Amino acid sequence: MTTGFGDYVRTRREALRAHDDRYSLRQVAQRIGVEPSFLSKVERDETPPPSEAKIVALAEELGEDADVLLALAGKVSSDLQAAIRKRPELFATLIRELKDLPDRAVLRLVRDVRDGKW
Amino acid sequence: MIELHKDQLIVRFPDVHADAELRIDFQRTLRIPDDDREYPLPAGLGRFPLRHVDDFAERVPARWLEHGGVLLPMYQSEALWINFDGGYPCAVKIAAGKINAVTGDAYRPGLHRGPQDYAVTPGQPWLDGFCVEKGIIRQFVAMPLGAGYSAEEQITGAAEHGGLQLHVYPIKRQHYRPPIEGASVTGAPLGRALFAKSFDMGLAPGGRMRQEIYRDHRPLDVWDLDHGHRCFVHLANSLVWRAITGEEPPSTPLTARDYARAHIPWFEYYAEGETAVDGAGVLQRLKSVVAMGKAKGDVPLPENESLTPQTVIDLRRGLVKGQVREGRF
Repeated sequence: MTTGFGDYVRTRREALRAHDDRYSLRQVAQRIGVEPSFLSKVERDETPPPSEAKIVALAEELGEDADVLLALAGKVSSDLQAAIRKRPELFATLIRELKDLPDRAVLRLVRDVRDGKW
Repeated sequence: MIELHKDQLIVRFPDVHADAELRIDFQRTLRIPDDDREYPLPAGLGRFPLRHVDDFAERVPARWLEHGGVLLPMYQSEALWINFDGGYPCAVKIAAGKINAVTGDAYRPGLHRGPQDYAVTPGQPWLDGFCVEKGIIRQFVAMPLGAGYSAEEQITGAAEHGGLQLHVYPIKRQHYRPPIEGASVTGAPLGRALFAKSFDMGLAPGGRMRQEIYRDHRPLDVWDLDHGHRCFVHLANSLVWRAITGEEPPSTPLTARDYARAHIPWFEYYAEGETAVDGAGVLQRLKSVVAMGKAKGDVPLPENESLTPQTVIDLRRGLVKGQVREGRF
């Protein structure tokens, strides 16, 4: 599901550029280490999204969540892939079981910071 | 529940309201000179790392496990400020070594007035230290627990708890009014060891800074005391952080000279229509780190020369949504 990645990135970058010239195509490309022409093609969805490392750099640059941008690019971060590969049955079952639950219910499963006796 | 995500504590109350969430992180910052002059607010220089104490059960002291919570690495004489981010009104009690940072009283659960012993978010975007006078705080500065500098040791005479304790209560669902778009400041995030015998750090009162703790204008019974969440933040000496976690500690904090050379700005924060709580006499009577050092014949703070803030940026509540105190360097 690569549709929308470039459009999303461009919209977000241009929104930031409206207040800050450092978010020009050229400067953002330079900061994440790609050619401006390449970023331009990415933003127009004329080329597939860049590598995971570049997407993570782009997310940081634009103040976006890296997992959200990776998902838009049809990717899953390598640490999540490694976690799933380590315990494939457990995580496959878990994700399938949870996929239709509302966020509120899933939040209950997130690891809690344990409170003890003060 | 409190989730630890990307070095941020996310305190949620899904049973109260879907919006009931407060994000708390701990910002590295410049230790301002402890010279009895008053300084504006220094910038945030990034989040301190946070880890679950349970993940290092074999390597942390038994009492840390008993307290639960998280651990955070600090260099001796390093400063921090606490950053609050969230639109759902919450009352936050902040204690250092179980000494309330607003009143100087011993930590106790619940919320109290006369004097008010908590801060209210949003509205209170940050807390940088102990409230010593109306509109003046003394910066939170890490000192080894047991060395006699911490507020806890000065007030109780004992080096028992250390760390930071946070207790958050949401407003009752029926008193919640969703914010008007664009009308609020989210409070988005707009730092050497001399003697490191102690594992644990405590927070001591450092230099004076202009910061108000705002008075709560709501009736006390709007707060939902049945749904509080609390977290014990253990302050691990940076030099033992590696031994506990296997991770490199953050780089040593910036000196005032580095800060000035990098042209990092200072900040003044104004919230119109708000009134500040009075400072606590017990906190005002505390010896600052330098004053305590003099009394002990120590020089606890390296590089404590006075300085003149060059660029001071005024932040006014309500001006810009998502206005940040932390700049780009």
